[in-house]
Amino acid sequence: MININNVSFSYDKGKTEVLKNISLDIPEKKVTSFIGPSGCGKSTLLRCINRMNDLVETSMITTGQIDVMGQNINSKEVDPIELRKHIGMVFQKYNPFPKSIYDNVAYGLRIQGIKNKKTLDQAVERSLRGAALWDEVKDRLKDSALGLSGGQQQRLCIARAIAVQPKIILMDEPCSALDPIATAKVEELITELREEFTIVIVTHSMQQASRISDHTAFFYLGELIEYGQTDTIFQNPSKKRTEDYISGRFG
Amino acid sequence: MQIQGHILSEFDEALNTLKANTITMATLTQKNVENAFTGLTQRDLSICNQVIADDEEVDQLEIQIDNDSLQIMAKFQPFASDLRLVVASMKVTHNLERISDHAVSIAKRSRKIIKSEDIDEVALIEPAYQQALLMLKNAILCYTEGSTEKALEVLSMEDDLNKFHKIASKSYTKKLEEPSDHYKIFLNLVFITRWIERVGNLSTNIAEDVIFMESAQDIRHGGELEE
Repeated sequence: MININNVSFSYDKGKTEVLKNISLDIPEKKVTSFIGPSGCGKSTLLRCINRMNDLVETSMITTGQIDVMGQNINSKEVDPIELRKHIGMVFQKYNPFPKSIYDNVAYGLRIQGIKNKKTLDQAVERSLRGAALWDEVKDRLKDSALGLSGGQQQRLCIARAIAVQPKIILMDEPCSALDPIATAKVEELITELREEFTIVIVTHSMQQASRISDHTAFFYLGELIEYGQTDTIFQNPSKKRTEDYISGRFG
Repeated sequence: MQIQGHILSEFDEALNTLKANTITMATLTQKNVENAFTGLTQRDLSICNQVIADDEEVDQLEIQIDNDSLQIMAKFQPFASDLRLVVASMKVTHNLERISDHAVSIAKRSRKIIKSEDIDEVALIEPAYQQALLMLKNAILCYTEGSTEKALEVLSMEDDLNKFHKIASKSYTKKLEEPSDHYKIFLNLVFITRWIERVGNLSTNIAEDVIFMESAQDIRHGGELEE
């Protein structure tokens, strides 16, 4: 689904590489976790997948190529706005628009030019159900999204992301600002969403990565140290640095 | 794999304590097995009673190690080799507790044997006992050192144990078939031989737990260790 081939990346026009020769294939309709200490490059790589790093003018992929569904996403023909329609993103801090719950979910569809109320209603309900939020908000769809709890706001952001029916959802520490109950609800949601979407998640929680992901990639100082089945990574990693990191030892 | 200390020193201390307690329990278990045999062969009632009393300490250590393991899992949520150490230690202590129970059974039967006349046939048990004791000692050593190689050695010793057990068992069974005033002693010796064999069998279980702890491979029930 996502093929990252020998990718190096720099934020300063190639002077320093924050990702070094990364190669990994992310399979379709699975959850893949990126783990590693702060500054290891995991979020940078995540943002390469939907070209979010384009927003940093001096950033560039210095070598290698990322293919999403067989298409080189950095080729000139690819419009990043178009690319992001297929790749939703959920951030660390939930960021609903200061609009109603309904308008938040319908936002992406309206941008795509969908105006038919019935179509929008159906899509909003489907997305909120998909984000396991429908039963909690169905009677107050016109209320402000900012009145929801943190966990509900994050699930609303997930509903907003899936409303446009992307193929891939990128999640950058989606639970780091949530309490354990809200975290459990988001994790439960992720395990349900994997049936329909390819999910890539950056997390600092080893437990979360081990619970929800099928594959795990461990990064350190811009390098991919180990990538494999989550069970193997957490029970019997082959690299010492992976073992040291996941078990909380000095690296 | 050279393992460094954890960032959380409390986690290191908890794992070190768990391992130290397991080794203490293993040492006590080994002593109980040795005393049970000494009690039988030297016809020493007080040593037999000592084995029965000392088993209590082994039982309490099993409970403590289980509790400590649960605490470690709840507090530190171990992964990889740490998780395997905790799980393997719980399994090792379970096997040790059963071995110590067998030592108690041997001591209880020995008390009955001691009350009867001293007979030479008691010595027939010695080869099986020595083999089982060696297996137990090596199993404890492989846990202490985390040695897969030594664990494999323990597994390779089981065939000889079975052979010695068979020889002793057959001898006592044959004696039982003949008219004898000592039939009760021979019957008790059949049981004791069986428990000695179980000590060796349970030692192989410990060796298998150590192999899991060190290599993450489960070789129980006919599995083979991959390189």
